[in-house]
Amino acid sequence: MYGLMSRTRVIVAVVVATGIATLAGYGTAAASTSTGSATAKTSACGTKPGVKATGSPIRLGTIVTNQSGTSFTDISNMADAYFTCVNDNGGINGHPIHYYIETEQSNPAQIAADARQLVQTDHVVGVVGNTSIIECSVDSSYWKSHGYYVIASGIAPECYGTPNYADVNMGPRYSSDGAVQYAIAKGIKKIVFDQSNVPGTGYIAAGPNALAAKAHVSIVQLTEDVPIADADSVAIKEVDDAGPDGAVILNFTPPDALVILQAAQSLGIVDHVKMWGCSTPCNTDFLSQSLGKAWNSKLFVNAELTPPDSTSTATMKLYKAIYQQYGTTGPNKVSGGIGAFSEMGFTEAEIAVHALEGIKGAYTVKSVNAAFKGVKNFETGMMCQKWTYGSYPTHIANNEDYTVTPDNGKMVTAQGCTKISAVDPQIASYRKHAGTASLDPTSS
Amino acid sequence: MPSWQEFQPFIVTGLALGGVYALSGVGLVVLYQATGVVYLAFGAVGATGALLAWSLISVHVASWLAWIVCLAFSGALTLAYGMVFGPLLARRTPLVKATATLGLLLILYGAMDLLWTTSGGEVRSLTLPSDSHSFSIAGIQITYTQLIGLAIGVVITIATAAFLRFTKLGTAMRAMANDRDITATLGVPVRRVEAAAWLGCGVLAGVAGLLLADMVALDATTLTFLVISSLAAALIARLRSITLTFLAALLVGLVQNLMVPIPSLTNYNDMAPFVLAALALLALSRRRVIALSREEV
Amino acid sequence: MVNVAGRTAGPRQPGSLLRRPGRPTVIRVAVVVVLLLFTVVALPQLIGLYYVDYLTQVAVYAMVALGLGVLVGRVGLMSLGQVAVLSVGAWSAARLLFGTSQPFPLVLVEAGLITMVLGTVLLLPALRMRGLYLALITLMLASAVYIVLLTLNFPNGGAGFSGYNGNQIHIPPIRRPSIANSDPAYFRYAVLVAVVMFALVAIHIRTRPGRAWAAIRQSEPAALAAGINTTLYKLWAVALASFVTGVAGGVLAGAVHYLYSDDFPAYTSITLLAVVLMGGAYSLWGAIVAALLMQLLPALLNNWGVSNDWLTILFGIGVVFTLTTAPRGIADQFPKDMARLGGLLLRQVRRRRPVPASASPSASASASASPSASGSVSPSASASSASSAARAAPTAASAGEGEAP
Repeated sequence: MYGLMSRTRVIVAVVVATGIATLAGYGTAAASTSTGSATAKTSACGTKPGVKATGSPIRLGTIVTNQSGTSFTDISNMADAYFTCVNDNGGINGHPIHYYIETEQSNPAQIAADARQLVQTDHVVGVVGNTSIIECSVDSSYWKSHGYYVIASGIAPECYGTPNYADVNMGPRYSSDGAVQYAIAKGIKKIVFDQSNVPGTGYIAAGPNALAAKAHVSIVQLTEDVPIADADSVAIKEVDDAGPDGAVILNFTPPDALVILQAAQSLGIVDHVKMWGCSTPCNTDFLSQSLGKAWNSKLFVNAELTPPDSTSTATMKLYKAIYQQYGTTGPNKVSGGIGAFSEMGFTEAEIAVHALEGIKGAYTVKSVNAAFKGVKNFETGMMCQKWTYGSYPTHIANNEDYTVTPDNGKMVTAQGCTKISAVDPQIASYRKHAGTASLDPTSS
Repeated sequence: MPSWQEFQPFIVTGLALGGVYALSGVGLVVLYQATGVVYLAFGAVGATGALLAWSLISVHVASWLAWIVCLAFSGALTLAYGMVFGPLLARRTPLVKATATLGLLLILYGAMDLLWTTSGGEVRSLTLPSDSHSFSIAGIQITYTQLIGLAIGVVITIATAAFLRFTKLGTAMRAMANDRDITATLGVPVRRVEAAAWLGCGVLAGVAGLLLADMVALDATTLTFLVISSLAAALIARLRSITLTFLAALLVGLVQNLMVPIPSLTNYNDMAPFVLAALALLALSRRRVIALSREEV
Repeated sequence: MVNVAGRTAGPRQPGSLLRRPGRPTVIRVAVVVVLLLFTVVALPQLIGLYYVDYLTQVAVYAMVALGLGVLVGRVGLMSLGQVAVLSVGAWSAARLLFGTSQPFPLVLVEAGLITMVLGTVLLLPALRMRGLYLALITLMLASAVYIVLLTLNFPNGGAGFSGYNGNQIHIPPIRRPSIANSDPAYFRYAVLVAVVMFALVAIHIRTRPGRAWAAIRQSEPAALAAGINTTLYKLWAVALASFVTGVAGGVLAGAVHYLYSDDFPAYTSITLLAVVLMGGAYSLWGAIVAALLMQLLPALLNNWGVSNDWLTILFGIGVVFTLTTAPRGIADQFPKDMARLGGLLLRQVRRRRPVPASASPSASASASASPSASGSVSPSASASSASSAARAAPTAASAGEGEAP
């Protein structure tokens, strides 16, 4: 009797809690605002506008991190939106794309299992859109042994240092390079490079170190445990080390970067250094909105893909239109809207579709991955250069960047396309293999 | 070894951080004193309230209304939890009562990540009007929010101590935390007193949530598990003295920040709360076996 | 299933005092053996590698849960730091696997021993504390270990004490035993190691330490009065739990090939405690249920496209539910519920077609298998470790967490 009673109570409590959660859900649902307006037709994504693809499906898969605090599902969800658009407009020669999204929580066992699931159970013929903190380290040898050439957004060193991954982004090291070289170009005397204490900090730091050494600028390397609970002391330490002629360059996820910057602001020490810099993760309007105008032209963020707010090319219009039509509803909603994450997903899907359209004959692991690998000098419309996969021992397919700065709730371009310096030995060795294929500046 | 000059700003930020720990540390001890429950979901409740306030403000609800909603939500949720599970677990050990609040922590933690996703690189922040007013000490700026955080710590410490000592309800709470059954036979309306304690602590969790969202980060993971660091201060005070908890929190914050400018220790500064708590407890336990009043295990 | 129903009532029958396994014991042993054979031989053939990988994790976490079960269920030490203990085991094993060419089983034993020494030394002073304080201090210690681990990092083939090289672009995988390089083979290997660990714990429970633990949990002063060295046996439990968890860390290192400090945050211990409480800390089956909840459930939910956050919520609800309505966990509650259901159905059948009660084999079996309420200290004659362990635990009302009647 007692047990029965207590169970009833517990159930009542759960129901009440669910009610509250639902109310909270209304709050957040109402909070999301629509971004931009659809000015282009989405039909441009396919070859037969308005005709649904009905052939046998082409199976593609991906593995993305989705854990509390760190989630990259906007990338796979935007890729999914693109594929759905393609399927609604003729598919790939009449074949729809079926996209399998596996999410993981930075657990190596789970990530290995996900790769096997995609290959063994889902029978995917290609892997597109992987974005994970450690996936490249865990799975690179598996993809290699099974003949997959992954199109990804990279984080771990293996995403750039192996033959089987090519990325649309630059990742932490080269993006930090970009932020550091911008600071050096602005004539600062000292650099403090602070990053989150995750595996591979030494590898990331090697790039900025090389750049600073070449420019005879002294550099201090710091790491912080994340999530940061004590941003004040972090900010003071950075500013003290950098000095009035120095720059503080951050390599953190958006929430951690934000708390450091806000701490500096509330401590009143923003102007105690000459400038602040940040690798790509800071490139989000959310950050700009949270920071306010104290940081306009004080913070400079490396941006790997074309800033969406100040661009109106056909590709950018298509991206926004696909987001509006396919990315705003359903379980695979793109929650962050227009921004760096969804741009990456769009670009990866775009490259994959371009490669698939060139295949004559059956869509097998062999043909699809040969097509991926064969992508050469493809103009994505989303970056400073043409994108090439190719048979190289390393892949830094995106190595020219923009620099943006917050401007009243938006991120605006501070510097156009600039090559990441080949002083970083990894960049030098990649360019030796692959060369550079900058866009003609007049075409964009 | 850095110079005294270099340490100075860290003393100031250390005290501010101590204020952060004090806010939740004192809240934990108050509830423990009144109900015998170590409310480990304290941080998660405050975080949910703060995120709720953020959602309301982002749809242009007046800020003061959003803050009230945050306090009301935290109070109501804590009250509901206390009313449902308080009596159910009344006869269990403090350990079981504390563990059950871990359940609430997990539920809220999961719900927060579902409702306030970060999958598009979303970052959120909550600023209070007190942020824009500041003064300088040791070359760095102190905002009124940090000052309010410390002041609230002091006020709560004094007010709760006085409340528990001098008011009828306070005496009833103390008696009840000591022995629920005997208190009930003495004619104290146990349920009502308990409800007051839970509600009060819920509102306190909401206040802490708002302030910490501003001072630390509006981030579910950070705010939910900040309670572990704050717990260190409460443990040093052995969950008994509110004043001692407050002082311990300041000490923990100070030690943690004074480690920052020392290069060999800087990466270990986050360990300070845990090591201090462990050392304090071990030192205390050398003299006698520590057991809580009603814990006969 | 049905024979569990009468467990808590009825005096011990003379038959069970003779050390002769009864029919239900034989059946139980047979079930365990068949299940085990099926798991090791047939299961990897039947399921995809995805589930093989996850089930390897289940084997690892069954050992971790087993260790925590020893602490919580045997001596009433609620630890919130077991994931830190696991990370110590994994770290030691990884260091040895990179640094030496010792055979894998030897590394597992060494990792277990290192973890055992560290775990015992760390908790030795804390053992003077009880209940809530001990639980919270383990949380503090685990948080400290996590921060050390973040700075030290897991070995990745580098040199020096830490074996970590942050500049590495190609991180070599942690090796597996040569006989178990493939995923299915390693799964079998992990299961066999887990079986050895379960047997080790079962032996402890059924011999002198187990009886001492049961006495300590019932009443520490009484145990002291009875001449039991309570500190020694508590330490023994901590050492055993740390050893088992350390070995689990070694198996984990080989299973995942790559280890990251981020995978062992202090608060994972909260989830672990949640599933162990849900599974049931008082029975060895509970450890397996806990591991299935913690590792297989996410695999299933992921496949159904359900967000991991729901799992966190589910665990939260599970903790609250377990503590309020089924303090001894699913492994204990589920058979009881089933038995109750079975009894209900049986009564319905009997009402229509009366059968003499003595003729029912399940009724007599349950009577012979049930210990006397106060007899939990005496050795059990049953050969089946798992369910006798469940029985050796005192009834919920007087369980280690010390509820008042």
